Amino acid sequence: MKQLFSKEKWKYAFYTVSHPADGYYEIRHRERGSVPIAILLVILFSISFSINRISASFIVNDVDPMTVNLLSELVSVLLLYLLFCVGNWSITCLMNGEGRLKDIAIALGYAMIPMIICMNIGTIFSHAVAADEGAFYVMIIGIGIAYGVFMMLIGVMEVHNYTLGKTLLTIFLTFVAIFIIIFVVLLVGDLINQVYSFFYSIYQELIFRS
Amino acid sequence: MGGSAMKKKNLIKRTAAALLAATVLLLVPAEAVQAEELPYDTYNYNYRQEFVITPAAYVPNGSVTGLSVGTTDFKEPQDFCVAPDGLIYVADTGNNRIVVLNHEMNEVVREIATFDRNGTADTFNAPYGVCVSENMELYIADSNNRRIVVLTPEGEFIKIVDNPQSEILDDNFEFIPLKVTVDYADRIYAIVKNAFEGILVFESNGDFTGYFGTIEVSISLWEKFWRRLASKEERSKSQLYIPTEFTGIDVDDGGFIYASNIDPDGKQAVRRLNPQGKDVIQKGENGNVGGDILTGMYGDYSGPSQITDVVYRDKGIYSLLDRRRGRIFTYDKEGNLLYIFGGVGSQEGTFNVPVAIESIDGEIIVLDAYYGAIMRFSETRYGKLINEAVGLRFDGDETEAIEKWQEVLRLDANNELANTGIGKAYLTAGNNRLAMEYLELGMNRKYYSIAWKRYRNELLAKNMNIIMTVVVVLIILWVVYKKWRKKKRGKAVEKEGGLL
Repeated sequence: MKQLFSKEKWKYAFYTVSHPADGYYEIRHRERGSVPIAILLVILFSISFSINRISASFIVNDVDPMTVNLLSELVSVLLLYLLFCVGNWSITCLMNGEGRLKDIAIALGYAMIPMIICMNIGTIFSHAVAADEGAFYVMIIGIGIAYGVFMMLIGVMEVHNYTLGKTLLTIFLTFVAIFIIIFVVLLVGDLINQVYSFFYSIYQELIFRS
Repeated sequence: MGGSAMKKKNLIKRTAAALLAATVLLLVPAEAVQAEELPYDTYNYNYRQEFVITPAAYVPNGSVTGLSVGTTDFKEPQDFCVAPDGLIYVADTGNNRIVVLNHEMNEVVREIATFDRNGTADTFNAPYGVCVSENMELYIADSNNRRIVVLTPEGEFIKIVDNPQSEILDDNFEFIPLKVTVDYADRIYAIVKNAFEGILVFESNGDFTGYFGTIEVSISLWEKFWRRLASKEERSKSQLYIPTEFTGIDVDDGGFIYASNIDPDGKQAVRRLNPQGKDVIQKGENGNVGGDILTGMYGDYSGPSQITDVVYRDKGIYSLLDRRRGRIFTYDKEGNLLYIFGGVGSQEGTFNVPVAIESIDGEIIVLDAYYGAIMRFSETRYGKLINEAVGLRFDGDETEAIEKWQEVLRLDANNELANTGIGKAYLTAGNNRLAMEYLELGMNRKYYSIAWKRYRNELLAKNMNIIMTVVVVLIILWVVYKKWRKKKRGKAVEKEGGLL
């Protein structure tokens, strides 16, 4: 555990931000990444995202703070993260991807770093802008998101040793896989519910008749 | 001794309790008690377009029927009008007469059922609309006789406007005037049944000049696409895209025409038409002057408001009357909703078929065709304060308005208009910090941004010394650090060199 959270690993996460292609390659082949750090980064991203919407300045922020729920957003972000990792893993397994589930999780988690940084800088910066300077705020957030998406793309590409075209295709298929997973989970849930209610009604019959 | 002390204590307790009860009774305002007995809620929409209940702005103040003023009951009256001298003219459509009430609405001044037209007696046939001009001439939209009759207030014949001739009118055009109004130049504006092209305008001598204020039909791209695909037969069967008709009409001090219409989208149910017939109405933050914003999806009570009449009151304030839910919407000149009240029902102060609205001395009066009655609503302190504050802002007297708004806030702490009003006044006064506070409460992003910009400049100017000092010190420190590092490295290199 200590090794997974070591200073070196943290430094390497930031090295990945500045050198995405190199960084992700070494994560796959030289074990330089850390899954706990990746998960922590996803959690941090979710919190920064919520905080941005709650406390960015009134001038640039049209969200009703009453509608933001930090905890439920955290749960849904983590769930989405899990779904994407599993979906991508199951697709790339069939498409000659070299990455392990661990590598995909790290690739996605490390891509959160620019978004976390820009979200928080944007939140603070928003309190300094007037309405006609709001474009700067939008630009800061935009750069963060764009660089994050770019890192995700490079991450998936390097980890699986894909070409760009194949990466885009697998990402599209990943979303299909996510829908299939959700569909199956709902189906199974409904089925279990029906089986349960069947046995429950038998139990009730027995109770009332005896 | 213990007993007497106890008694004394009890006495004190009792007195205190009695005093407390008395203060509580005194503190409960009379209005709050009344508000619970009202047959309707007074409400408004906030910035996030949520429904917010506010204190009552207007309370029912009795009703006036034909019997109560000493004549036979009104039968489906469709319109009424307050004359410049304060008398009220009711178009009693079902009884084919015009009833004139005194200012207090407790007795009939006169009834006009017949008039002498160049020696022959003439009567009305379903007089639908009525209006008294500034020059004290009575205009009656005599619908089934297809004419507009102009009389003196006493009922003497002046002229008749009928049978408009123009090539822009259809050959089988039928002139059935429903509502009529007159501006300061005695131009006549008439809403005519099935005239979808707009309001008909006549010169003072009765010549038809043309249509006015046509409502444009908007066809969405999707509808256009379907019409493209449809065959000729299908197209002929599908519904026609015709604009809605105007329903009510009023004229303001500057000669601008306020005309209401039923908007199926619920976005804009009133137009303020300039002399060219162009719509110059101002819309508020939400861009909506169409009555209710939140409407249900199912049932009789659902759907957008159906505005049947409009009244221009004073200082840019105008009210709309909704037939669907019996609500009265009041807007200021900038298109902000001030308050909404009223409802459909059978209690006093509710409507069944409201058809016309007028205002008289701080009262709003509504004519109900089903009950044949005029419902009166008098303003409460809350309503009065809002009207006065808006009026002061209309006159440009923002500093005086601030006191009124403060009092509004005492009655309704979340009133966004009041907060914005105070914020704007502070902004003009140069108190940017306070202005920001109130403008944020009032959810006014535009003015908040202006206040913040000024406040930011203030802060920068005030703290320039400190900021510049910090920056200079940081730069010096940085330079020193760099030099120090260079020196250290140089030494290390020297050492290495020495080793080698």
